[in-house]
Amino acid sequence: MIRVDSLHKTFRDVRAVDGVSFEVAARTVCAFLGPNGAGKSTTMRILAGDLAADAGSVEVAGRRVTPDDPGSRAQLGYLPENTPVDRRLSVVDYLDFVGRLRGLDRAGRRAAVERVLGLCSLEDRARQRIGELSKGYRQRVGLAQALLADPPVLVLDEPTSGLDPAEIARIRALVVELGRTKTVLLSTHVLADVQDTATHVVMLRAGRVVAAGSPLDLADEEAPEVLVTLIAPTPDVEQRLLALAGVERVSRRGADARRQSFALEVDDRERVAGLVLDLAREADWRVFELVQRRVGLEDVFLRRMESRA
Amino acid sequence: MNATVGVLRRELLIFLGAPVAWVLAVVYLATLMTGFFVVGFPVGDLRLPGFWSGGYAALDALFAWIPLSLCLFVPALTMSSWAGERRLGTDELLFTHPVSIVSLVVGKFLAHWAIVVGLLGAAIVPAAIAVRSLGALDLGVVGAGFFGAVLLAASFVCVGQLASCLVADELAAFLVASLLLFALVGLGLFVRVLPPAIVEVAWYASPVVHYVETAVRGVIDVRDLVYFGTLFAAALTLEVLWLEGRRWR
Repeated sequence: MIRVDSLHKTFRDVRAVDGVSFEVAARTVCAFLGPNGAGKSTTMRILAGDLAADAGSVEVAGRRVTPDDPGSRAQLGYLPENTPVDRRLSVVDYLDFVGRLRGLDRAGRRAAVERVLGLCSLEDRARQRIGELSKGYRQRVGLAQALLADPPVLVLDEPTSGLDPAEIARIRALVVELGRTKTVLLSTHVLADVQDTATHVVMLRAGRVVAAGSPLDLADEEAPEVLVTLIAPTPDVEQRLLALAGVERVSRRGADARRQSFALEVDDRERVAGLVLDLAREADWRVFELVQRRVGLEDVFLRRMESRA
Repeated sequence: MNATVGVLRRELLIFLGAPVAWVLAVVYLATLMTGFFVVGFPVGDLRLPGFWSGGYAALDALFAWIPLSLCLFVPALTMSSWAGERRLGTDELLFTHPVSIVSLVVGKFLAHWAIVVGLLGAAIVPAAIAVRSLGALDLGVVGAGFFGAVLLAASFVCVGQLASCLVADELAAFLVASLLLFALVGLGLFVRVLPPAIVEVAWYASPVVHYVETAVRGVIDVRDLVYFGTLFAAALTLEVLWLEGRRWR
């Protein structure tokens, strides 16, 4: 449903997007992850037809998106970062305006506006000026305009940014609901958004794709972890843990006056957990807590960003 | 067409919903009426007395004030047309809808033009009624003058919108458009102080000259229509090309 192929975009001397390629299947919620400046918003703007790529191509619903072909933008609803909806208009006037831009006739606009007001729970704010609404309601107006013409593809750039927890939960639930019938590309810095909503993930760093796949597959590709909290009289705990067979990396996770915590990236968590206990006995360390775990999406994200740094 | 009407409606709603726009409109009308009835037009070669002191039934002083007054009013109206969209970030969303930039530009132009024409009507029609009740006003000349003012307003709106598209912020857009319009108007008003070599070019380049031909003499000349049509087409084309180009920058 979305196909991005070898996309390049440079702003003066800054290479914002550097050969990005990925695909998102129909009726999938795909999370688009990466640190600030990774090229997510630029890629999304190219997808939405707001920017032209220097090279490469994007296809939405089987049609190539080019800036000089307005019709190619009809299959996509777009919510940019910071929700730049027109604050000087009332909610219904703004949605009616968007309906005209989307080519809907009078009856179509009326029906579409009523539908999205209900979908985004905006009925009680319909006549209010957008500038008078809270950030959460403005975000809902942004979603409503993206959904107005019922496009098969939605591109949402940080839709939960700056919202309170209740509003975040509401928007996550809406995205999950939309993902049953539409293809959604969702950019976010909040990894909890992804765990709750996305079935596919694309990670970007410095304008390049560094990971793509389902969150579970990506986690499986990563080394599991052993977390250990202990009391040790010696200062060389980190080095001795790293020297254990099967430990690929050790990172300190915190310490207080007595206890120290470490995360060990390992090849076999059960075997290494046993080795840690053996070492603790031998070195006379007191183990407070020992946890074996599969890595989560946050760990995958951090490792992928660090490994390419 | 639907998109053009949508933009036209949105711009009118924004104007009508902004208290500052109403203040601007009232100040504009009050200034124009004061100029016509009391002050007269004491600028350039064509000096005219105010209506009360002149004592003859014509709207010449009112028509003479229109170009200069529009040099301030039109930029104030158009300064936010694109610069305001950029400030609010709404341009990013606007350009992702399946509509051509031409339809957006034309919609904005029609809205601003309609507002200016409405205000000119609100000045000219009551003034004409007042003068006609006191003397024998030639309605043909008034009609031609109004027509000339409508063409003048169209060309000024194009220039104002173009400035708002080219420069970074609203204040800069206002200043650039005002300076440009004052320069164009000044070419006609102060043609005698210009070097002889450029007098003819300056004379033809000034919109005031083409406007005065219709407003004062009551004659609609094809050359004036060509002039305004060219200015209108050039400014709108440049605006569309500039906005299309932003996608590639």
